[in-house]
Formats: sequence, structure tokens, C-alpha cells
Amino acid sequence: MNKIRQNNIIQNIQKYFPIILLFISVLNDFDFNNLGLIYFSFNFSYILIFYYSLKKSESLGYVYIFIAGLFNDIVVGTPIGISSLMYLILCGAAAYLRNITLRPSLIKDSIFFLITILIINSLLFIYLNFIFNHELNYFEQIINITYTFFLYFLFANLFDFLEKNILGNRHAG
Amino acid sequence: MEPSRDDFVIALRSAFLKKGTQQRFSLLSLIFFSIILLILGSFNFKAINYVKVVIKEIVYRSSFIVTGPENFLKNNYLIVSNHLKLYEENKKNIAELNYLRGKDLSQKINILENIKYKKLIDDYFIGENETFAKVLIDKQSPFLRSIIINKGSKNNIKLGMVVLDEGYLIGKIVEVNFFSSRVLLISDINSKIPVSLQPGDIQAIMSGKDKQEGVLQYVRDKSLSEINEEIQVLTSGAGGLFKNGIPIGTIAIDDEILVNNKEDKIVDFHRDFSQLKYVKVISFSKEKNILDLSSKEDSEILNEKIEETNQQQETLRILLAQKKIADDIRVKIQKENYFLRNERIRLKKESEFLRNKSDRLKNEILIIKRNNQKNKIEDDEIEFLKKNLIYGHKCRKNLINNLYKVGTPEYRKCVLKKGLKK
Repeated sequence: MNKIRQNNIIQNIQKYFPIILLFISVLNDFDFNNLGLIYFSFNFSYILIFYYSLKKSESLGYVYIFIAGLFNDIVVGTPIGISSLMYLILCGAAAYLRNITLRPSLIKDSIFFLITILIINSLLFIYLNFIFNHELNYFEQIINITYTFFLYFLFANLFDFLEKNILGNRHAG
Repeated sequence: MEPSRDDFVIALRSAFLKKGTQQRFSLLSLIFFSIILLILGSFNFKAINYVKVVIKEIVYRSSFIVTGPENFLKNNYLIVSNHLKLYEENKKNIAELNYLRGKDLSQKINILENIKYKKLIDDYFIGENETFAKVLIDKQSPFLRSIIINKGSKNNIKLGMVVLDEGYLIGKIVEVNFFSSRVLLISDINSKIPVSLQPGDIQAIMSGKDKQEGVLQYVRDKSLSEINEEIQVLTSGAGGLFKNGIPIGTIAIDDEILVNNKEDKIVDFHRDFSQLKYVKVISFSKEKNILDLSSKEDSEILNEKIEETNQQQETLRILLAQKKIADDIRVKIQKENYFLRNERIRLKKESEFLRNKSDRLKNEILIIKRNNQKNKIEDDEIEFLKKNLIYGHKCRKNLINNLYKVGTPEYRKCVLKKGLKK
């Protein structure tokens, strides 16, 4: 009985691992700000959402992403709904890429990811700057996009490794 | 072209409209829902605000729990690194302590003097509603630099209150919930704070730039580079939100930007915003007397004093009037006195002149008297001579008579009696 229960817990953790990670990243913000690096920031949530929407779409529910976006808005202080919109656009882009891809390649995925986050951040910039009069630092945005793009390679490989070797999903990637 | 366009449409439709196995909503419907939320949020729709408040409370509390492990690691890392630096720090601290002990007394005197002068110009602010709060989340995203603290409207936190860390300004309250509040850090690009630069008392506006830096805008004085020492950046108190003189940061003089006299001057903040743990939330207001029992007594004493002062003032007014009258009289007497003195001098001169004149007249009389006497003698002589010519022979001694010898007094008497004998 105990074994069955333990197996259930492990299965649940395996199943909900991306969602748990997404909520932790949204509530905690993995951007290493406590290291005190001036020109370093990246958006872990974008990488996570794009990767799992592309590779394992059933593990991240759209409603969870939507709620995570609302949480992110509250934590960051941006107008409520904007992060959800950006996350969902990212999901849409990943789903589109998944539909048109026959032979997956990390390079192509990353280039598509770069284009998507450029569009998303432009939308965000336009929305915050022109509608809500939030002043944004353009330079920091560029740094954020650049690091998010480069770290996509690292995290994509890390998630592949996790899915294949630790969580035991042979079909990932 | 037709088949590729079809593929594109099919792929898009599949991506945005198709629901997954366990999906209850399609992507497009959720996107529309987010847009509706955004639009209603921008119009401050009441229901959205309630939703926001509920989500905020949930998120802030759960964030505190979720950030626990990271904070634990961070704190441990800090403890270890502090421990490793302990010996050097101790040596430095002892030296600094000795130096600061000497400075302490003079600083106390300066503070008291400062308070006294500020009270004189009615610019003395006292801290009110001082609350210490724990930092729940220190979110420093590229979009907004803010922290969440565990005190809200329940603890009398209000919008616009000042947030300090060990006396240094770190931000202000921009959002208040029941149990938590959001602090906009001064490093945020939207934060605009009126500052004054010392020495020189140059006024400027400071805005956030990076995680540890601010930038000066609208610096009135262009001659900032002429100051040859480290510039201290303090709140100026303009606008009334912040008390003046709260330290913020410094501007180094060897800064390239400063030397080149560019418009952007970089301010290094005193505090490290990524290491905030506990902060002080405070509001400042002008000093006022609270009307309790002791202050009532004080006010009565004050009233008595005022009355006494009024009486004294009245007495003083009367005395002043009396003094004025006395002064008038004194002036009159002085004038009279002056006139009399002049008169006395004039009369003295006149009497002297008259005395001289009388002396002269006396002399003249004396001379006349002498002359008269002389004339009389001469007249007598003339009469004697005349009578001598006529009657001399009757009195003169000769051989035949025995009369008087010429020149003797008997002879003279005889002549004057016209030669008659006794």
C-alpha cells in the first residue's frame, strides 16, 4: 500500500514538475539578482514555457500558465493580465512551431524562440510605455532578451537531461 | 502558394484553437480573457481590483514561503562570507570605532543645534508611525524594482510613506494591502526623488538606473565638476514627501562622467538593495503639541506667561509714553539752559566791558580832580602874584620897617590879606 502511495507521489511530481517549476520561478524569480551582477538578468519563465509547450505540451496546462502570468504580474508589479498574455502568445508560438516542424532542431527552435521573445518584449514595451506610462530601461530589456536567448541552449539541454534520466520520460526532446 | 498558405492557416488554427487532452480552454479564449482583464484593469474596474487584492495576498504569502529555501541559502552564504572576513573587519571596525567616538560628541552638538535652528525656521520634522517590517520578496526585475514587506494597512502603513534601511533612504510605499505593502525602490527608473548635493547645496532630481545606481536629472548647477571632494546626495525635502537630509548615496569625483560634465551623473547608493532584510517604514510631519493633560497645564502656564508679558508690555508702553514726555521736557529745559548759558556769557562780557569803562572813567575823574587841584593851586599862586604886585611892598622887609622876609609864609599871608597887619 505504501509503495503504491509513494509511486503515486512520484508520478504526480513527475507529471506536475514543469508546473511546480513554473510557479516557483514566477514567485521566486530565478534571475540570480542576489549575486549582485549589474548587467545580468534573464527570464526563466519564458524558457520553461517555450520548452515545455514545444516538447511536452500536455505537461503545462494553458490555465496554469494563465494563472502563473497573473501571479507574475502581482509579483513584478505590472498591470494585471499582461504577463498572462505574453506567456500565452509564447505558448501559441511554440504550438505553431510544433505543428510545422517535421525534424526538430535546437538551433531552429532557439531562433524561433529569439524572434518570439523579441516580439513579446516589443509588445510589452509598447504596452507599458505608451498605455500605462511605465518607463522601462531599454538597455536592460535588450540584456534580458540576450541572456534569455543564450540560456535557452543551456536550459533546453538541462530539461532534456532531466526528462530522460531523472523523470524517466524517454520521449522528451 | 495555395498549399503553403493552407498549411500556415491549419498550423495556426491548430495552435490557437485546438484544445489538448486535458485542456479546458483553448489558447485563443485565454488570450482574449487576458486582454479583457487588461482593458478592465486599465479602467480600474471594481471587480478586477477585488480580484487583484485577493491574488496579491495569496501571492505575497506564498512567495514568502517559496523564497524560503533561496533566502536560506543566501543567508548562509552571507554568514560564511562574513565569517571569513571577520578578522579584517574587526581590525577595521576597531579603528573606525576609535575615530567615530571622537566624532560622536561634536555630531550630537551639531544635531541639537540643527534641531534648534530648524525649529526656528519651522522646518523641523519628526518621525511618525514608525514601523519595522520584514522583506518578503525582493523582486528586482527589469520591469520594476520593488520589494514586498510584511506590513500593510493593518499596521497603519499608508501610501507614500518613506522606507529606510539603517537611516538610508531606499524607497517609498506605492501599494498597500491589508497584510503587505509594495515598496518602490529608488533604483527604479520610475522613481523620481528631489535631492540636494552637498557641498554646494545644488538641487536636482534623481531617478533610478541600475540595481545599485541612480542618475541625476535636471541638475541646475553646471559647475558640479568644480567641487573637489566626494559629493553627498541627500533628499532635499522639496515636494514635502521626504524630510530633507536623508542620505541616499555619493558621487565620486574621479567619475569620468562628472569630469566630462555630461548630463548623466551616477549616484552610488549607500545600501545594497539585494541584501535588504528588515526595513523601517516611517512618515514625517511637522512637530505639534498634543493636547493631553500635561500639555494643558503647559498651555495654562503659557497663557499666564502671555498675560504677564502683556501686562509688562502695557507697563512698558506707559513708561515709554512717560519717557517720551520727560524727553520732551528735558529737551525744552536743555534748550532754555542753553539760551541762559549764552545769556550769562553775554552778560558777563557786557559787565566786563562796563567795568572796564567805569575804571576808565574813574581814572579820568581822578585826572580831572588832580587837574582841578593843580589849577586851584595855580589860581592861588596867580592871585598871590597879582596881590604881591599890588600889596608886596606893604609886607616886604626893608631897612626901615621890620616886616616879613620875601618868600616866607608870613609874607604870603600878609600879601593875601592885602598888606593888612594883625
